[in-house]
Amino acid sequence: MLGAGYAIAATGLVVTYTTSGVFNFAQGAVGMVAAFCYWELVSAHNVPVLLSLLIILVLGASVSGALVERVLMRRLHGASSERPVMVTLGLMVILTGVATLVWSPTTERQVNNMVSGQFRLAGINIQYQEVLIIGVALAVAIALRALFYSTRTGYALRAVVDDPELLAMSGVSPNRMSQYGWILGFMMAALAGVLLAPTQTTGISIEAMTLLVVNGYAAAIVGRLKNIPVTFVAAIAIGLAENYVINYILPHVPQNLVPDITYALPMAFLFIALVTLPSVRLRAVGRLTTMRAPRVAGGRESLVAGAGFFVVAIVVALVFNGTEVKGTTFLDLAGLVMTLGIAGLSLVLLTGYSGQVSLCQFSFMGIGAFVMGKIAGGGSVLGLLAALGVCAGAGALIALPTIRLRDLYLALATFAFADAVATGFFPDSHIYGSGGVSIGRIDIFGIDFAGDIAEFLLVTALFVLAALLVLAIRRSLFGRRLVALNDSPAAYATVGLNIGFTKVAVFAIAAGMAGLAGALYGTVQGVVGTTDFDIFPGIVFVLFITIWSIRTVSGAFLAAVTYVVLNQLWPNGVGLFAGVGIILIGRAAGGLLGIGALQFRLPWVRRPAGVDEMVGSPVGMAAMNGETRAAG
Amino acid sequence: MPPAEPRGGGTSALSVSEVAVRFGGVSALNDVTLTVEPGTVTGLIGPNGAGKTTLFNVISGLQVPDRGSVHLFDTEVTSMKPHRRARLGLARTFQRLEIFGTLSASENVQVGLESTVKWWEWRHLQRVVPWKRRAAAGAGAGDGVGTAGPDRVPALRPGSLAASTCDRLLEGVGLAGLGGEQSANMSTGLARMVELARALAIGPKLLLLDEPGSGLDEAESKALGELLAKLAAGGMAVLLVEHDMELVMRICDPIYVLDFGDIIAAGTPDSIRKDPMVQAAYLGEAEPEANPAPEVDFSRPMTFGPEVEGLDR
Repeated sequence: MLGAGYAIAATGLVVTYTTSGVFNFAQGAVGMVAAFCYWELVSAHNVPVLLSLLIILVLGASVSGALVERVLMRRLHGASSERPVMVTLGLMVILTGVATLVWSPTTERQVNNMVSGQFRLAGINIQYQEVLIIGVALAVAIALRALFYSTRTGYALRAVVDDPELLAMSGVSPNRMSQYGWILGFMMAALAGVLLAPTQTTGISIEAMTLLVVNGYAAAIVGRLKNIPVTFVAAIAIGLAENYVINYILPHVPQNLVPDITYALPMAFLFIALVTLPSVRLRAVGRLTTMRAPRVAGGRESLVAGAGFFVVAIVVALVFNGTEVKGTTFLDLAGLVMTLGIAGLSLVLLTGYSGQVSLCQFSFMGIGAFVMGKIAGGGSVLGLLAALGVCAGAGALIALPTIRLRDLYLALATFAFADAVATGFFPDSHIYGSGGVSIGRIDIFGIDFAGDIAEFLLVTALFVLAALLVLAIRRSLFGRRLVALNDSPAAYATVGLNIGFTKVAVFAIAAGMAGLAGALYGTVQGVVGTTDFDIFPGIVFVLFITIWSIRTVSGAFLAAVTYVVLNQLWPNGVGLFAGVGIILIGRAAGGLLGIGALQFRLPWVRRPAGVDEMVGSPVGMAAMNGETRAAG
Repeated sequence: MPPAEPRGGGTSALSVSEVAVRFGGVSALNDVTLTVEPGTVTGLIGPNGAGKTTLFNVISGLQVPDRGSVHLFDTEVTSMKPHRRARLGLARTFQRLEIFGTLSASENVQVGLESTVKWWEWRHLQRVVPWKRRAAAGAGAGDGVGTAGPDRVPALRPGSLAASTCDRLLEGVGLAGLGGEQSANMSTGLARMVELARALAIGPKLLLLDEPGSGLDEAESKALGELLAKLAAGGMAVLLVEHDMELVMRICDPIYVLDFGDIIAAGTPDSIRKDPMVQAAYLGEAEPEANPAPEVDFSRPMTFGPEVEGLDR
């Protein structure tokens, strides 16, 4: 039954992907909102079930799907390939943010089966609800198959990603076809949410419902994001496997491991799917970077700016020492900004330079902080080094199965990893549990950084060093290779450079940096726990840095400031800010900092002719579609 | 049509043997066999959709053939990764530009020059530290990397070996003085030359060029012809796909003609000009043997327009 629900969600993902080339990370959130609306209508307001379904699926889901395509996605034509990922993530955090405001998480909401009763077949009790879900899933699969392969619209839907221009020449609007794809995708997400809601025996929760669809990711990947029948069968198989593990294997494992295994299952399925996927052939897509390259500060300039930054930090430390903001020391908050800034710098290196998306930098931070807390009493340099090493190793392991594949799969793998770590690993009583882990302030060779000022200046100095390092890497041979790999993988390989090695190397370096950032975060905060490194805050942070500019050091710093400040002012609204922000930024590759007037440079540095902004052109779209074709 | 025999019995730079590629029900290459000898510019011509780019992808490793084998300098490479083939001495350019658009023209070339440098070695790692850079700069390609003006991301330290090689390459393809330009902002013709310089930077023994002449004006095209002839004279093997027939007839020998995935003719420019099958393919004659057509006038440039996307995939 679970499998049938996943099947609907997963085929929805595939439908949207095949018709628009965009993997909708908000699929789970759409299902979650549908489930809550269903509860609101049926359980709270006694609206008849069929009428509720009509309102949710036909009115709500289809209209919002059409709007999302028209208002958010269509504008992204010509954007860099990671941008659609960011915008659908933005949609996800908006939906979860709004849901948190509308449906208070403290109330328990139990969704009842649509049809009650059960019957016995071959000695097994079967509920009518289960029959309904399986029946609906089968009907959806058959209807989609018929639509895609037997109707003119279906052919156009399948053709739109392959060659929108050619499709347009035959008199069909590619935009219209993409819109149909989004409408279908949203309707199936909503259907899956409504059908799966009664399976949540402890009531529906925003986070659980949003992440329920991660199981569908593995199925969609087995279907290589384009094959509906294979996706469907894979989803059913995953549902059965999950039932099997829960009913037959878990009773035999120690009780305290049961939740860990349950939560890690989607991740395990996803990784099995990734490993079994055949390699994607490198393709020459004729990609042309249409963006002006962001300025990279020279060695001397960055040294001067770094020193200036540190001097300002000293002044800030002296002026604000002892000041409190809502019960937290100002310098502690500023220290958190610096440590998050280091995590942001890891994303500049990874996503900004090499174009790979990671949604699990917060997970590495959490692992880093845990390692720091457990090694040598929690305040030693050894702990910092161990955090760096452990996370770099973990990063390499996550990147390895995806290097043969397109970058989207890395984003999916990191999302699943962040989910598994946040829901299964961190809450374990041996890791953070409910109490968290204490981490002392750092002691370097007998010099104690216990005082607020000393601690703040230490993390500031490390942030400045990390920033100088990232800029130095960009100016180095390795940095040139990262940018080259992002611009043209096909050319990169044909000049004799190893794509897989470079990807794993940069991912491991970025993971190590994030681990170090987490360890430092722990020393500033004192005690860290599961909620510090949850999946949603991690995604929100990635969005903030994309909004400011993921290709610059200033972007990383400003994202950290924004994140910490908003979390102090309005914790429930942080996601809304991030989601709305990324939607407003749209395809502007340089982010806010790409806007000329906001560009900062030292007074004596010459201003170049242009600013880093996207020169909108259909070439990027062609590149995006070229990548899409690579799925074949 | 039998392939041209290796001249002098030496090792061929490239030998493609009975390679077949199918995309779904469409046959893109049908038992294609050809060889390219060192010191020659070999031409590969044919109408759009004939399979030329697919063949290039098979040779450079972007496409694994369904059947057949590819040898580079006697090494079997049929299923070898593209970067390992490049290390054997194979370089290529692309019909649809594949430049590193964020980087400047000279940085594009630099990536090629440094392709054998292992960045994780200590002597390269320490150059990341600003004050170590000068001390570490020494001999060898890729060394001597320093910072130039603040708005110029990394540039080559003037006077270093790598810098002079880079300048020489850019000058060789007619880009002298344009090294600092961001390559994405260059015209198609100039960007093609950046691609060519980057390909030459890895020091290839076999060079595959996919329509390098498109987007070039007459003078540039003439200069390109001279450059290719010079490279071949230096011992390099060049395989050229080009629609500018005047250029092909002038510098290529032998020439292979590909049509619907089949090699329909191979030989000297003269024999190709007179070949009835070639005339049929280009002029649309149905029965060339019964009705010998006049020689195809290749002296005027024949252009076929951009290839329809998707056919080669």
